[in-house]
Amino acid sequence: MKKTLIALLLLTLVVGSAFAQGGAEASAATYPTGPVSVIVPYSAGGGTDLIARALVDAAKGSFPKNITVENRTGGGGAVGMSFGANAKADGSVITMITVELVTLPHTGTGGGIYYDQFKPIMMVNSAYAAVTVQASSPYNTLGEFLSAAKTKSMRVGNSGVGAIWHLAAAGLGKAANVSFNHIPFEGAAPAITSLLGGHIDAITVSYAEVASQVAAGNLKVLAVLAPERIAATPNIPTAKELGYDAVVGTWRGLGVPKNTPDDVAKKIYDIFDAAAKSPAFVKFMQDTDNIIDILDGPAYGKRLAVDNEMFKALINELGLKQQ
Amino acid sequence: MLLSVLSSVFNLKIFFFIILGVFTGISIGALPGLTATMGVALVLPLTFGMDAIPGILLLIGVYVGAIYGGSISAILLRTPGTPAAAATVLDGYEFSKRGESGRALGISTVSSFVGGVVSVIALWLISPQLAKLALRFSAPEFFLLAVFGLSIIASISGNSLAKGVLTGALGISLAFVGIDGITGYPRFTFNNINLLSGVSFIPVMIGLFAMSQAFTTIETIFTPDQVTQKVSNVFPTKADWKVIFKHAPISGVIGTIIGIVPGAGAEIGAFVSYGQAKRMSKNPERFGTGIPEGIAAPEAGNNGVTGGALIPMLTMGVPGDAVAAILIGALTVQGLQPGPMLFAEHPVLVYSIFLGMFVANVAMLLLGLSSLRLFVKVLSVPKSILTPMIFVLCVVGSYAINTSFFDVGVMLFFGVLGYFLQKADASVSPAVLGLILGPMAESNFRRALLMSEGNYGIFFTSPIAWIFLFLTTITLVGPFVGTYLKKRKAQA
Repeated sequence: MKKTLIALLLLTLVVGSAFAQGGAEASAATYPTGPVSVIVPYSAGGGTDLIARALVDAAKGSFPKNITVENRTGGGGAVGMSFGANAKADGSVITMITVELVTLPHTGTGGGIYYDQFKPIMMVNSAYAAVTVQASSPYNTLGEFLSAAKTKSMRVGNSGVGAIWHLAAAGLGKAANVSFNHIPFEGAAPAITSLLGGHIDAITVSYAEVASQVAAGNLKVLAVLAPERIAATPNIPTAKELGYDAVVGTWRGLGVPKNTPDDVAKKIYDIFDAAAKSPAFVKFMQDTDNIIDILDGPAYGKRLAVDNEMFKALINELGLKQQ
Repeated sequence: MLLSVLSSVFNLKIFFFIILGVFTGISIGALPGLTATMGVALVLPLTFGMDAIPGILLLIGVYVGAIYGGSISAILLRTPGTPAAAATVLDGYEFSKRGESGRALGISTVSSFVGGVVSVIALWLISPQLAKLALRFSAPEFFLLAVFGLSIIASISGNSLAKGVLTGALGISLAFVGIDGITGYPRFTFNNINLLSGVSFIPVMIGLFAMSQAFTTIETIFTPDQVTQKVSNVFPTKADWKVIFKHAPISGVIGTIIGIVPGAGAEIGAFVSYGQAKRMSKNPERFGTGIPEGIAAPEAGNNGVTGGALIPMLTMGVPGDAVAAILIGALTVQGLQPGPMLFAEHPVLVYSIFLGMFVANVAMLLLGLSSLRLFVKVLSVPKSILTPMIFVLCVVGSYAINTSFFDVGVMLFFGVLGYFLQKADASVSPAVLGLILGPMAESNFRRALLMSEGNYGIFFTSPIAWIFLFLTTITLVGPFVGTYLKKRKAQA
């Protein structure tokens, strides 16, 4: 009992200290002047959180006054990103922004977030949808699957309504001019389990999430919705090269409030660019089947704008917009 | 595989966490007002920074310890430390009146151990098989499983079925809040961003169970609980061993089965085991007068639930009781998704949980037999010191889960609500059942209809579905048939 109490008290102190940000002067030469927190809009232990923690770990040396990861969950990521966008614009709060930044505003559940509230620092990682079926499925190519879908109602599982993998299936359907029977699950794992049990026909989640079942010979991937073939799986074709123009994936990156001075943003970019290239981070990403995909601030900004338009059109077409 | 399981459990660090967990659990369980659910919820944030195996085993240690610890205050103070020990009060306190507290505590310790071990064996034997079967579960089967779990509300409502159904409905409607999982429509969110992903489960639990109890304690804060009995002769006599070995294994099996039923927890396991032992007995009238059977059965029964509750949790991601629901959260935080894939992808973790849970039961037995006097001391901490501590723990615990002050507000709200529910003599257990199983029933019902494109026949296609339909009918109609038959017998 006493031990629990002491441990809880320590925990309170640690959590409390995350708020104790010093009065940092926004200047590149002196950055970071105080402790820095990295906001993760998802729960501790999830995919986004683990990548954020690994990256922060690799960058620790550049933050003598400490850098901490803070999980602010809720609203499918809207709570944390909204907090990060409205934080002090001096680089003391960096936010792990994800693709939901350009999807939630269009489904009407973004709670006021919009991508232009952030100054993008860098994109760190990306993952594209993999059209996956049971290994025993009669369809061996994306073409066979899609032409069968013209006559049969295909049940395609996704990780939640309006979530990125739902949009991926919808985007593919749009490109191939077929409509699927979308079945939403609470996250990718139950969707994969349901496919393994043969209750649905296909799923469109990321390759990393199905990799172990593909290796075990239970599932097969027909195509990835990536701009080019994934380095780890050179023999899986992209939908694009098969003639279906659908490129849908998720990404994670760093952003700071839009009024942050450019030189501070540049300094943050330099620190995390080096961290993302460190052997420890590279190894972590390999071990967890995650793909490092680095874009610098301006390129990432363009990507945000392009994806924002793409998802806006897709979501309106699907009738997913609320209110 | 065997070797890596052995080496991942049999090392000092893991032993330390298991023993720490069991020790914390017994202390929490012994204190009236601190339940097993609350203990596990409060320790949960500490595991975020730990590896999966020590983290989960620490929580399981707390769970196992707390369910047993509840019997200490049940026997000594006539106040169950946890709801799971309510049945133990009936005979346990009679022992204390006779000055045989030590004997009663000894019987409780050994019976809890036997019940716990039976359930761990069941967990180890059944789970891998059920994990294979779990792939056959699709939306209609999950829906019917949830409905079966909800039908249990009828038997745990205590004195008033109407109040049970009301609090159950409260739990279900609470789960409506947030973005609807099928259409993406935000329901009852009042444009509050914190409500978009629904009301967080753990702050609600802390509020309903711990905070409300702390409010109730304030009413009697200056009346001291005096432990006047001396605790001696803890080790059971030969005659007591005989009773324990006659009743504890059966009660352990009963507890395990009740643990498997989604939502039904240790308090039900204890009462059903007590009832069963009474029915089996040649002299049922002696129950309640302080006989060893009256402790052995409920204590083995409630610890039997511990392993049983983990079976559906690990194999299907369906919580067997409220603690198992928190353990799902603990696994998810570690990046592990409970379900059939867990057995295929992380076999070492799964079998380490089985083995570690066995070790936790051994630790409980040894701590119970050796340091009971220490745990009795915990009971003499004045309520005026303990209650403020509980308030602090409730606030810190509900804040730490999502680092959100909104959650603290949620906890306080449900603390007040829980207090008034207690005043109205309405059990909060159905609310938890509704909160856990309501969303499961709803989303799977709608998912099933999406899959079948609106055809209700999908609920009657598989044998598994028929089994659950049958079980649900029995739980709902059974009691009425029973009363009817009794009436006819009385007339004849």
